[in-house]
This record gives sequence, C-alpha cells and structure tokens, in this order.
Amino acid sequence: MKVRVWGARGSVPAPGPEMNRYGGNTSCVELTLSSGETLILDAGTGIRTLGFSLPPDLERINILLTHLHLDHIQGLMFFPPCFRAESNIRIFGPSSPEASLEARIARYISAPLSPVEVRELPCDVSFHDAPATEWQIGAATIRAEAITHRGPTLGYRITDGDTCLCYIPDHEPGLGADLENLNEEWISGYNLARDADLLIHDCQYTDEEYPGHEGWGHSPITATLTFASRVGAKRTLLFHHDPLHTDSFLDDLHRSARRCWEDLGGNPEQIGIAAERAELTVEGQPSAAPAQARIAV
Amino acid sequence: MSGPQKPLELILARNLLTSVTTPAFLVARDGTLLFYNEGAGALIGRPFEDIGQLDIDEWTSRFGPFDDDDEPLPFDRLPLTRALREGRPAHDEFMVRSADGIKHRIAASAMPIVGTASGASGAMVIFWPVDENQAREVTTGRHEVAS
Repeated sequence: MKVRVWGARGSVPAPGPEMNRYGGNTSCVELTLSSGETLILDAGTGIRTLGFSLPPDLERINILLTHLHLDHIQGLMFFPPCFRAESNIRIFGPSSPEASLEARIARYISAPLSPVEVRELPCDVSFHDAPATEWQIGAATIRAEAITHRGPTLGYRITDGDTCLCYIPDHEPGLGADLENLNEEWISGYNLARDADLLIHDCQYTDEEYPGHEGWGHSPITATLTFASRVGAKRTLLFHHDPLHTDSFLDDLHRSARRCWEDLGGNPEQIGIAAERAELTVEGQPSAAPAQARIAV
Repeated sequence: MSGPQKPLELILARNLLTSVTTPAFLVARDGTLLFYNEGAGALIGRPFEDIGQLDIDEWTSRFGPFDDDDEPLPFDRLPLTRALREGRPAHDEFMVRSADGIKHRIAASAMPIVGTASGASGAMVIFWPVDENQAREVTTGRHEVAS
C-alpha cells in the first residue's frame, strides 16, 4: 500500500514561509492499493493539488470522509475531477439522523458559501453513509467506526492483503479517560487501530498546550503515543498539525514524541510526522515482531 | 481478558460518569452492569474496581432493588427495564442494600442510550438517596467508601 500526504494541517489552512516543509494544506491522504485503485482520505485543501496529479482517465475516485468539519471537506469544491463530466466520484462519510450526507455537504457547496451547487457539478458524484459493516473497494477491506471527537466522526481501518492502515486524524481518546490503565474495550478507536502497520493519528498539541484545549476533540503527544502503544501500532504518523505550529516547532514536537515513545519502551524510528508530499510504503509486519513501515520522502 | 470494544456512546457515557459525583450506573442492553462511578460506589459501599462487571442476576441479588416490605422488585418494574424496553426515560423510588447490609431508599432515573449505528446499546441510571443529608454526602464525595 502506498501513502501520499497532500495535507497534514488541522483546523484551518496555514500557508507561509515558516510552514513550507510540513505544509499548510488541511487533511488529505492518498492511498494507492495493491490493485492500483486509489482511495482518498478526507477532502481538506490538500485534495486540490492531489486532483491535479490524478490521471484524467481514472475510472473511479473514492473519497472517505472522517467527518464534515471544514478542514476535512474544504477542498472538495476545488477538486478538479469534480468539474469533469467523465469523473465518477463516490463519497463516503458519517451518517446522521438529521440529514443525508449529500444534504450536509451541500450546506457548504451552495450559496452563499459557494458559487456552485452540488447538483451543478458536471461529474457523476454519489454520496454514501459509511456502512456499519466492513465493505470492499478494490483490494481494500474497509471498516469505519465512530470515534471520540466533536460531532459524528469516523475513523477508518483499511486492510489490503496483509497490510493494515488506520486513519484517525481527529481524535481525543483520553478525554475523561485514563488511557494508560483503561481496559482496552473502553478505548475509543481501539478496534480500528489494533496492530495497524501504520497509524495516522491526531497529535495537534504538545502536552503543555493541551490543558487550554481539553475537550476540543484533539490529542496531545502523550495521549497519542499512549493510544499507539495500547493498540500495538507498528508505526505512527503524527498528523493534524496545529495551524500555529511552524516547521521548527513541529521538528521539536517530533523529537519530543520520539523521546516519549522511547520512554514507553518503543523504537523512536517508529514515530514519524506527516509532511505534505511525503510518500510512504506500508508493508504488513508480523504482530510478534513490530517493526517500522518503510518511509521514503 | 476483555471483550470487544464497546460502542462509542457507551465509552463516552462512562467517561461522563467518571467525571461527575452524582451516583450512576451504566448498564448494557442485556442488563449487564458495565460500570458505576465513585458516587454510586460511595452509596453501595464498594468501588467499581473491586467488583467489576456483573450480570443482571448478580447485581440485583447484591444491591436489590427491594420494595418497602423487603421483597425483591420484579425486574419489569425497574426504571432501567422500562427505559430499555420502551426507549424512553423512566423514574421510580425503591430500596437498595449497600455492601455493609444497610438499606437506602433511593430515587432512580434511567435513560436509554441510543447510538447512531444501531438501537439502544444500554442505559444510564442516575440515582439519589431520598434522605437529603445522605444525598448531600454522596454527591459532595464526603461519603466513606469501603476499600
């Protein structure tokens, strides 16, 4: 499974020279499955540039949305395939008793926020509630489950052969919970992330920043790594960077996370940090001998 | 060993109950007692960590409920049962017995917990001692819990 990060920022795009290395675009990750099929995780502003890189004759595009906060859907309206009549786009996301996925996304892609309406998009686009049971796209078996964040939010577990990736970009599993000692059946996201070869997980805050943001739906370093440790993730990619965190700040955050992981008994090489345009190859590893996924940036 | 991961709404309910002093039980759809908080532990005289999860026969035989004549209340009459079966809040007063054998009259309100993925996954039962002084002790955390 190949992974390419197109946006790793959280909350709001954060362009600027001091953000160049990690990037300012919001959440978007491209997966290329062993079958050659493409899965797109979230549609933050990073999906705009991803759209330019896709071959125009791509038969079908699958987008898995974790939730509908703006930093995860803002790029949809600027996704080039949306404006090609030959595109077939399937969008999956969390269900809601309040309104259909299409109706909720249309609140953004409609006046006065947008110059076009969903019904005016020339592509063939369909909207689907993420199934409650596992489903198949190409070579991937996909499972979606609700996780702790503000509003209905999903995490995804994507299995391709013996390789498993878990994507939980917005997650606060430690809210009101003692993650270190809690029985695993009471940990949000545990089933999704268990023994993942690569866990892409929220790490928006340092431990020092977190008290001012408790309950906002995001994790500090210690909670992210405790979660990664409890689920037995073989490699973790820190994701959803705070828009105030500059490149040098994120370098420090990454170093702190590696030290913290080492203190937990892990190999610091297992902790990576997402940077825009980074490419990763993820390969399944035996559970008994956790090892890092290979990374080529 | 532990079972499969609980539905998110039960995880969040447990997190909420952990953070409040109002005595409360968290019960699964099949009546299994999944968790109770420190406030409930103060009233029944044992912290949850000492007891763990209990099936419905176990916890009703330990704690009750009983009517005023010390007879066990039929399961059907419990607010919990009504909340789960009818899918709406229910309220009642009855007696419970703490670990030291002392009986307390309590008022209990049960509400079903319905997640987005399926029907009711359980219920939350919030309760108070009817005796005002005791209620104050329990909810302010000044009640001694046997360890």
